[in-house]
Amino acid sequence: MSELGMQPFLILSAFIFACGVVCIATKRNAIGVLMGVELVLNAANINVVAFARFNPAFRLDGQVFALMVIVLAAAEAAVALAIILNFYNNHATVDVDSADSLKG
Amino acid sequence: MFDVPGRIYVVATLLPLAAFLVLLIAGATRAFFRPFRKQGGFAGGMYWVCGGDKPLKTGAYLATGCMAVAAGLGVLGLVWVLTDPSEGSIRASKWAERIDWVRIGPLDTSPQPEWELQRAADATRATPRLALALEVGYKIDQLTAVVFAMVTVISTLIFLFSLGYMADEVRETVEDHQVVERVGGGETRRGGDKNHGDHSPSPHLPPSHSGFHRRGRFGRFFLFLSLFCFSMLNLVIADNLFQVFVSWELVGVCSFFLIGFYYERPSASAAANKAFIVNRIGDAGFLVGIMVAWSYCGTLNIEELTRRVRSPEADSHGTYELASRVIRVNADPIPAAATAATPRDYSLEPRDKPGTGSHVLLFPLAWEEPTHFHGPGYGKHKDNVFEVPPRSDYLTYGVMPYALFVLMGLGIFLGCVGKSAQVPLQTWLPDAMEGPTPVSALIHAATMVAAGVYLVGRCYTLFAPEVLLTIAYIGVITLFISATIALVQTDIKRILAYSTCSQLGFMMLALGIGGWVAGLLHLITHAFFKALLFLCSGSVIHGCHHEQDIRKMGGLRRKMPVTAFTMLVGVLAISGAPLLSGWYSKDQILATAMGYGIEHKQHILLMVLPLVTTGLTAYYMFRLWFLTFAGKPRDTHLNEKAHESPLVMTVPLVLLAAFSIGVAWGWPLWDANASYLGHVLEKAQPAFVPVQFATEHHEAHEHHLTAGALALLLAVSGAWLAWWLFGWRQPADMEMYRPGGPGYRFLHGKWYFDELYDAAIVNPTITLAKAAAAVDKAPTDRPRQFALPTLDGILNTAAELFIVFGRSLRAVQTGQLRTYVLTLALTAVAVLAILTVLVK
Repeated sequence: MSELGMQPFLILSAFIFACGVVCIATKRNAIGVLMGVELVLNAANINVVAFARFNPAFRLDGQVFALMVIVLAAAEAAVALAIILNFYNNHATVDVDSADSLKG
Repeated sequence: MFDVPGRIYVVATLLPLAAFLVLLIAGATRAFFRPFRKQGGFAGGMYWVCGGDKPLKTGAYLATGCMAVAAGLGVLGLVWVLTDPSEGSIRASKWAERIDWVRIGPLDTSPQPEWELQRAADATRATPRLALALEVGYKIDQLTAVVFAMVTVISTLIFLFSLGYMADEVRETVEDHQVVERVGGGETRRGGDKNHGDHSPSPHLPPSHSGFHRRGRFGRFFLFLSLFCFSMLNLVIADNLFQVFVSWELVGVCSFFLIGFYYERPSASAAANKAFIVNRIGDAGFLVGIMVAWSYCGTLNIEELTRRVRSPEADSHGTYELASRVIRVNADPIPAAATAATPRDYSLEPRDKPGTGSHVLLFPLAWEEPTHFHGPGYGKHKDNVFEVPPRSDYLTYGVMPYALFVLMGLGIFLGCVGKSAQVPLQTWLPDAMEGPTPVSALIHAATMVAAGVYLVGRCYTLFAPEVLLTIAYIGVITLFISATIALVQTDIKRILAYSTCSQLGFMMLALGIGGWVAGLLHLITHAFFKALLFLCSGSVIHGCHHEQDIRKMGGLRRKMPVTAFTMLVGVLAISGAPLLSGWYSKDQILATAMGYGIEHKQHILLMVLPLVTTGLTAYYMFRLWFLTFAGKPRDTHLNEKAHESPLVMTVPLVLLAAFSIGVAWGWPLWDANASYLGHVLEKAQPAFVPVQFATEHHEAHEHHLTAGALALLLAVSGAWLAWWLFGWRQPADMEMYRPGGPGYRFLHGKWYFDELYDAAIVNPTITLAKAAAAVDKAPTDRPRQFALPTLDGILNTAAELFIVFGRSLRAVQTGQLRTYVLTLALTAVAVLAILTVLVK
């Protein structure tokens, strides 16, 4: 089995990242937005792990970073879900378009 | 306490302050609890305890009592000072103390020189201190003691008089007919105008409108009087210029409060403002003088300043007659080899050309050996040259430019000009008559105007000969101008106000020409008879229901005999009738003036004008008396209602009349030079006066009788003229006193000083202020909008631009999460794209 090289991983990562951003930008459901965020984070993880595999200087660091991001993502998801729940309690909806209190 | 008897003066000074504070706290408490007055309990009770709706008399009694105790202490202190046989440093340690108030420089921690240690061992000798601290302290000498006793005694009598005079103010509501009321749409009308006596409406006509109603201000009056007295007493006992300045300002602000006591009257508030602002001009000069003294002499203590600028009496070898002179030196040419660090050398001015030195020699505060003084240029300094060390070292010699020395004197004198209402700052004093009459008496007799003359006497050692000549000329101009204005006035208080200016001019003149004792003696005697005259006029005004126009009076002597008689005493005293107090002081002043005029022919004006003015004084004072008290009543209605004042007002009059007669007596009675008070003051006279003015004093002694006889002759003719015009011919109606003629109008217009100042200063200032306001702001009809060319317009336009810009940016902030994310992503892409392009 030949080495794939770094490039396919980066392309995959960029694709997932783009998917995530589009998801965040288009979904009106807050849960959907949260999913988009997860995609973005995981895209970053793929990137980091790919670097760890192919760049000897990042052999250990990349793995640690990835673990860190996973933990952060979990925490972020918890906080975000709490916010969404509160928002739902107050507005009876999870439509992010109706969350415009910060409008200037 | 008995070790330092001077402390009774501190106690006496603080007593009026205590009364002031008690009254202030009570008034503030009352005002604080006023909302709870309807409720009972503690809060409501406090309101009623502190006065309630109706002003209490308690506070006034308290203030009067404090003042009376202060007067007792003042008299006790005077006796103590006069009988204290101690001399020199022992005396100084008994009658002077000082403490640091604000220390500016570091305390001197360097090892003390040997002579300092010796001095410390010798407790009787006061240790000179290094400078650079603002201090509070007092120093009592004969002058202070006399003035202090005078101020406290007169103030007490004025407080007593005020208890009667201000009795109207005890009521719950006081009606003031002289207040301009707003009628309809902001139009104003005047209830009565005292300023222009020609057409004042008769007060006995039924008032066309109900007057302005307000609460009586009995307590407030005594509150300000007490603070006033405290400030004055603090000024008198102060031993340094800074403390004097603080009291000086306090006196100024109190006069502002008291002149504007009826502050609802526009004339009163305008007069208060005028007094305050005109005095600011003088005070600015005073401050300049203080700063010069501080920066060159390093101390503000008057005695130390004297020791800095005046030489000791003589040097120990007797080779050089120093005698407290101001010693002037010239800077030597700088040698070629000099560097910046080389101290400059100075030499004494040539003996054959006195008065040419460019600098004043400053003497050390501490001598190496105080009893063994070597004049500069002698002893260890060789020849006439000495070295001037760095200025920071106040224990050694220094120099200050002579021009600045003159400026220092002029600055201090300018302060005195303002306070003592001398030309050109005299215009505030007649307007200050808007205050209640006891205030006029207090300001014009005992305190504020006396402060200026007193300070000139105190700081006499700091005045260069040029400054003294200025003082003399300012005095002589003032005394003549004010006397001529007083000739034609018809308002009883204004005549007295101008006569005060005139008499203060006499004092200034005397001080300026070396008559230190004469000037200050006149200050004391004048204080008594002017307080008497003012209180008499107050009694007349009170008895005539606030009529002040003497043309409407006449024949009042039958209605108010005590006032008439005591006022006659005052008139005689001010006119210089022999054996009354005014005679002694005025005689000395005129003799000094004559001596000076004969010695210096170019200054003959200083001799002629005072003599002429003596006649004028007698004329206008007798005119006042005859018009008020003699003849038949010219306004029968006024006369019918007139009544003698109550006992609380007449007793002070009688006491003051007694003082006016006898305060300057000595033995033998008929010798004007034998005044005991004069001899007392002579002990406090600066040492250089008899030396510097030796020839003048000799001439004065020679021509004493001539001067006295001339003055008496002129005064008698003035009095006779007044009697003939107003006592003998007895003009029946007031139409007679409206002569025309440019001269009369000129005098009635007060030499047009007010008009001159209005045209030269006030109006340009107002025009400038209006122009500045126009540049600043020109509102258009729209709210918050201003015409573009104005300052406000420019700034507002800038602000408007920012508002428009901000409003346009607002649209971007949608609050929509998705927009933000999209923007973020697109921005990131854009940045990456740009970077990609740029990096290649």
